Amino acid sequence: MTSTTYEPPAPETDLRRRGIRLGDVLFKGIAIVAALAATVLLGLIAWKILQLARPAIQDFGLSFIWTDAWNPVTNDYGALAFVYGTAVTSIIALVLATPLSVAIALFLTEIAPRKVAAPIATMVELLAAIPSVVLGLWGILVFGPWVRDYLEPWLQDVLGFLPMFSGTPSQAGILPAALVLTIMIIPITSAICRELFIRVPQELMDGSLALGSTRWEAIRGVLLTYAAPGIAAAVLLGLGRAFGEAIAVNQTIGNANIIPTSWFEPGNSLGSKIAAEYAGATSVEQASSILYLAAILMVISLTTNVIAQVIVVRFERARRAV
Amino acid sequence: MKRVLALGVLVVAAVATAAFAAQTQTASARPSAGSLVGTGATFPFPLISKWIPAVDEALGIRITYTPTGSGTGIAQITARTVDFGGSDAPLSPDQLTACKGCVVIPWALAGLSMPYNIPGLNGRLRLDGTTLANIYLGTITNWNSPFIKRLNPNLNLPDLRITPVYRSDGSGSTYAFTGYLSEISPQWKSKVGQNTTVNFPTGTGARGSSGVAGVVKSTAGAITYVDAAYSITNKFQFALLKNRAGGFATPGVRGVTRALCDLPARVTSLSQLKIVDPPRKCGRLAYPLSTFTYVIVPTSSGDKAADLRRFVYWAVTQGQKFGPPLFFVPLPKQVQGFAYREIKKIQS
Repeated sequence: MTSTTYEPPAPETDLRRRGIRLGDVLFKGIAIVAALAATVLLGLIAWKILQLARPAIQDFGLSFIWTDAWNPVTNDYGALAFVYGTAVTSIIALVLATPLSVAIALFLTEIAPRKVAAPIATMVELLAAIPSVVLGLWGILVFGPWVRDYLEPWLQDVLGFLPMFSGTPSQAGILPAALVLTIMIIPITSAICRELFIRVPQELMDGSLALGSTRWEAIRGVLLTYAAPGIAAAVLLGLGRAFGEAIAVNQTIGNANIIPTSWFEPGNSLGSKIAAEYAGATSVEQASSILYLAAILMVISLTTNVIAQVIVVRFERARRAV
Repeated sequence: MKRVLALGVLVVAAVATAAFAAQTQTASARPSAGSLVGTGATFPFPLISKWIPAVDEALGIRITYTPTGSGTGIAQITARTVDFGGSDAPLSPDQLTACKGCVVIPWALAGLSMPYNIPGLNGRLRLDGTTLANIYLGTITNWNSPFIKRLNPNLNLPDLRITPVYRSDGSGSTYAFTGYLSEISPQWKSKVGQNTTVNFPTGTGARGSSGVAGVVKSTAGAITYVDAAYSITNKFQFALLKNRAGGFATPGVRGVTRALCDLPARVTSLSQLKIVDPPRKCGRLAYPLSTFTYVIVPTSSGDKAADLRRFVYWAVTQGQKFGPPLFFVPLPKQVQGFAYREIKKIQS
């Protein structure tokens, strides 16, 4: 009889095997649920914002985006001043932060001795850990007055013939907000750039140096060229951060619903306007217009991030092909 | 090992789920009778903070109040997520309809002060409503303007740009201030108007009383509006405002009380509670810029009705005596009378 010779497996092994399977299944399940939840959440948030913004979208249509108006008394709204403020502050921040970030990353990977580089890298990254509200407070109390008393008068002396450096220096305005944003995005872009530069194959650098190029020529010709798409992606990620920042900008931009010609004058950004006004919105028109601003901001930020990711993917593919 | 880990994860997950379920259950149940939850205006918060322990002691009702801003107060009471809402602005007809049976009861009164930062000024600045409107419209831009000099013949007003500072968040202070300017200046009324947020044609915005005060503190030439208590407790220099009798008044308890002289003997509607720019007969001490702040309660409040009636009644009677040290002015008799009649409408 075969049945008498059959040995059932020991109960522990069976349990153990099943336990492993249970763990696998559980892990797989959690991973799927988490991934799905993130996707669904993004969709739900976008849908809810559009739904709440609907009254304003219906009232004002797409022309809302290029209309310069914000009057809660007459319920007349438009986003232009805030789109302008967001774009100008973020672009100034970008233009200032990109060379600085690349320089920091070059210093840390190519120039500084390792013993010096590690603590400095940590410090730069810690800059990103300062809560934006704290940075904004510093902007109000310390940085803004400094900009008003020293930086802006100096800019006016040197470049006063340009319209953006005309007017009266002020502690709250486009320029102070842009500078605070610069401080906020430098850690992000410089950390990514550093990562990129480390990953540049040493052989390429060595080869370039062996062929007689100077260190700067090797950096310019090999390192920067090799990392260029990555730098572009890093810059876009920094830009996404700058677009979306609400509180620190709110504290330093001056909150005026106008399109200032001078960078010293107060203006406003999308994020800052939403943060300041949503909680106190008194009418459906006002609340839905603020959510329309939120929808615009969301589209801008998502687009920037998607472009950055596309560049990263292409970069990775090109690198793997090498 | 892995099995132990998996089991551990399961147990933790189960416990967490159970705890979460239990918590949502208690959270979803309305707080038990004897406790009331409110949110809204920040303006009356110092006074409400004093009321909370006193109400607990006197009536055994536990009050929770979160100062979030008048707009939030209105939105949350309309959605019935709280038992009462606080607002410095009375509900507009549209908002009143949306709130589906709400009563709006005045429960505190205080003056707004105009703090300024003019370094080296040899005395107290005096302003009037027209000048203030022109400063905030951007037509008066320097402290040595003849319009300001005329009001302050003895002051060494400097050649300094004026920076008008306003609240960037929706605020009852802005509602009261723009109401005052609309009352005085037809130009302000047509160009800007009155609301909790308006489109200020010039100046710098900052968040909250502390935000505007911070900008004024660090900016030479700045002026702003905050509740009198804030200016006094933070030792800000604030302007004297000219009233119709020609006097220059301060936003103290006496100045605001005098401004009430024109209230009707029997108040029957909120529109009669206009106290900005009081008439000449109120005298030279009457301060022209003050505001009531309101509590909004649904007329059908279920099992909360009795507690709400007791709490609001206590607030407009006993509660008023906590006001003066905080520069809140006790409600006058006529307004208390109006409040009693409104409180009676709160039913289960």
